[in-house]
Amino acid sequence: MINNSSSQAPKKTYPQADSSPRRKAAIEAATEPLFGLRLSGISGIIGLIVLLLIVFLASLALGSVSIPLSEVIAALLGRETTHAAWREIVVDFRLPRALTAMVAGAALANSGLQLQALFRNPLAGPSILGINAGASLGAALVVLSGGAIGSSAITSGRLSSWLAQLSLVGAASMGAAIAMLLVILVARQVRSSLALLIFGLMFGYTTTALVTILLHFSQIDQTLAYLSWTFGSFSGVTWQQLPVLLVVTILGLGLSFLFAKLLDVLLLGEEQAIGLGLSLNRVRCCLIVSASVLAGSVTAFCGPIAFLGVAVPHLTRTLLRTLSHRILIPATTLLGAILALVADAIAQLPGSQTLLPLNAVTALLGAPVLIWLMLKRYQLF
Amino acid sequence: MGDLLRKYWKRYFRQLGLALVGLFLVVGCYVPRTAGPTTGPVPANADLAEDISAKPTVCAEAYDSTKDYFPDKVTTEYATGFSVDYHNHYKVVTVSDPWRGADRTFQYVLVQCGTPVPTGFVNAQIVEVPVKSVVALSTTQLPHLVILDRLETLVGVSQFETVNTPEVREKIERGEIQALSSGAALDVERLLLADPDLVMTFGTGDADSDSHERLIAAGLPVALVSEYREQTPLGRAEWLKFVALFFNQERRSQQYFSEMVTAYESMKKLTADPSARPTVFSGFSYEGTWYMPGGNSYAAQLLADAGADYLWADIESNGSRPMDFEAVFERSQAADFWVNMSQDWQRKEDAIAADPRYGKLAALQNNKAYNNNAKLNQTGGNDYWESGLANPDVILADLIKIFHPERLPDHDLVYYQPLKP
Repeated sequence: MINNSSSQAPKKTYPQADSSPRRKAAIEAATEPLFGLRLSGISGIIGLIVLLLIVFLASLALGSVSIPLSEVIAALLGRETTHAAWREIVVDFRLPRALTAMVAGAALANSGLQLQALFRNPLAGPSILGINAGASLGAALVVLSGGAIGSSAITSGRLSSWLAQLSLVGAASMGAAIAMLLVILVARQVRSSLALLIFGLMFGYTTTALVTILLHFSQIDQTLAYLSWTFGSFSGVTWQQLPVLLVVTILGLGLSFLFAKLLDVLLLGEEQAIGLGLSLNRVRCCLIVSASVLAGSVTAFCGPIAFLGVAVPHLTRTLLRTLSHRILIPATTLLGAILALVADAIAQLPGSQTLLPLNAVTALLGAPVLIWLMLKRYQLF
Repeated sequence: MGDLLRKYWKRYFRQLGLALVGLFLVVGCYVPRTAGPTTGPVPANADLAEDISAKPTVCAEAYDSTKDYFPDKVTTEYATGFSVDYHNHYKVVTVSDPWRGADRTFQYVLVQCGTPVPTGFVNAQIVEVPVKSVVALSTTQLPHLVILDRLETLVGVSQFETVNTPEVREKIERGEIQALSSGAALDVERLLLADPDLVMTFGTGDADSDSHERLIAAGLPVALVSEYREQTPLGRAEWLKFVALFFNQERRSQQYFSEMVTAYESMKKLTADPSARPTVFSGFSYEGTWYMPGGNSYAAQLLADAGADYLWADIESNGSRPMDFEAVFERSQAADFWVNMSQDWQRKEDAIAADPRYGKLAALQNNKAYNNNAKLNQTGGNDYWESGLANPDVILADLIKIFHPERLPDHDLVYYQPLKP
């Protein structure tokens, strides 16, 4: 009896097999329409697709350098622009940046959605499993030992400069992958999702400690390079790197679309899920792999982007007023892409030549929205 | 940007923040990572040792209140961050701009050894001069000790890896000095144990990372060498005179500095009316963010004095500003020269490997990209930020050689080298 009630406590906002009025009210509150806007599944998704296209074009048109929209389109179509540099700016800077923002936002939001369902915890996000921390450790190892690589480049040229090129993204991916493997190993042994959460957190603390030690012993240049990485940025990804990021995240996203039903069943609670014939361990591993491939690849290329992973699933649930993952997965993917593009456009401070760190923008914009949603959900105002 | 950065430090690694502030001021108190190749640049006045009797004033044996114990006095022409008032047996030194936005000044009363301590200086630090043992926590201070011929007083530095000055490296090899920081954190206990007559450091204004308050509280005389706050190359170099005050080496510092100024100004004249001023830009992009030196910065001043047209002189800042790569690309794509990029780059392909978009910059394509990393040691320490700060005439000569090679045909690059094709 005691067990039962305590295991249900954190599930308040999710549907259970029973249908007490209190629970119904909670579901109602969780899916309260935003701005009185109620979108049904399909129309909502279509709306989001249209919005995504608009935001994508806007992000190509906005930037530090003012380029008229007609010239942007000319550049995209491969025609000559008034200034030759404009074409290169649109094609080599803005297009990869917008594509990166789009897939990164989609991947992070999706990863967050899967993890929130898996842990039935609204605070879950891509950073919860220690994947960000693993990627950070990998990045720190490369960037902060950069001095050594740099000086060996003097002697052995080609090989080490090739190493230096691959290393940041490569090492961050490795770090994320190793973190992911560890989490899966633990997940296979440990039945409790709570224990897994705690493991992820502790793993995060441990790697952060290692990064701190590395930082402590490193030189200023490398510290700044690492710090810039932790600020998060979609601008560092070039055409040469983009195919890798695109392929990996699109695979991960595709995988996640197959999980819609699993996620719905998971929301019923672990016991009900087992009762419905789900192999909980296998599901858990699938979700962890999919979520961490998505989050890990983005983190490797763009740095640890805060907030999108946690916030976008909430926003989508509220906006579309549904808990069905067949709708939520595509909608979260789209909304993640849209918000990442918006955050990136704001970080560029269009019209000015300077810019803000991306992570500052995502959190400054995201946190008030999330707080407002929470207050509304619990009907505090 | 600065505030955000600060927030991140506090969260992750306070101590390193100290160093970072310096980097953001671009020129700053950057503790150079010194490197092994020990052939220092030949200062404009290498023959100084012959000119000056190097022995500092020793302790006064019988105090005579009418005697001027400091016959040689310094005057400052370029540096604005410190001043000195001479009295018969003591000098009052004021550091007026210890860090950005500082709301306080630091005062030092330097009292000739063997004479009485003057009264009435409540908030000043009393230091008996000439000091006989010193700890230099920034490598920018090491060349000063060499120039002033006071290297034998050096008992400690922050860390060995960052030292470039050949004479100091020899002392390290002989085991004559100790490293007083572990990683980025100053080991205050070991510093107290070393008990030097003077600790030379710098402040950033961040109470969490600055160590001077703790050291002063512990009774150590702490000199804030704030040369990084000066906006001109000569202003920075003139802090040699500030260090000299503590050693009664005024005459030597005056002579060295005035010869250096002569060299600098005469080279500057070479480019005063150039037929063409080539366009130049500086720095590189971190993950899409390009930290561009402001128009009033140290780096911009050097470029202007070398007869180049710095494309970002319109940034109203004496530090550097985070810029969007695309903005930099638009303005700099066709520029003639590119200077001061990542210290890790030796070859063009290093730059292109870091970001292929660099390959579209005309300066790189035309082999007109020059990096200030010709004097790196094994641990990546860059002498540009060590002996370079004390010898801006050499840096200027390098830049003139780069922009207007015909005006300095005999000069060989010291701190700069082209990115190899």
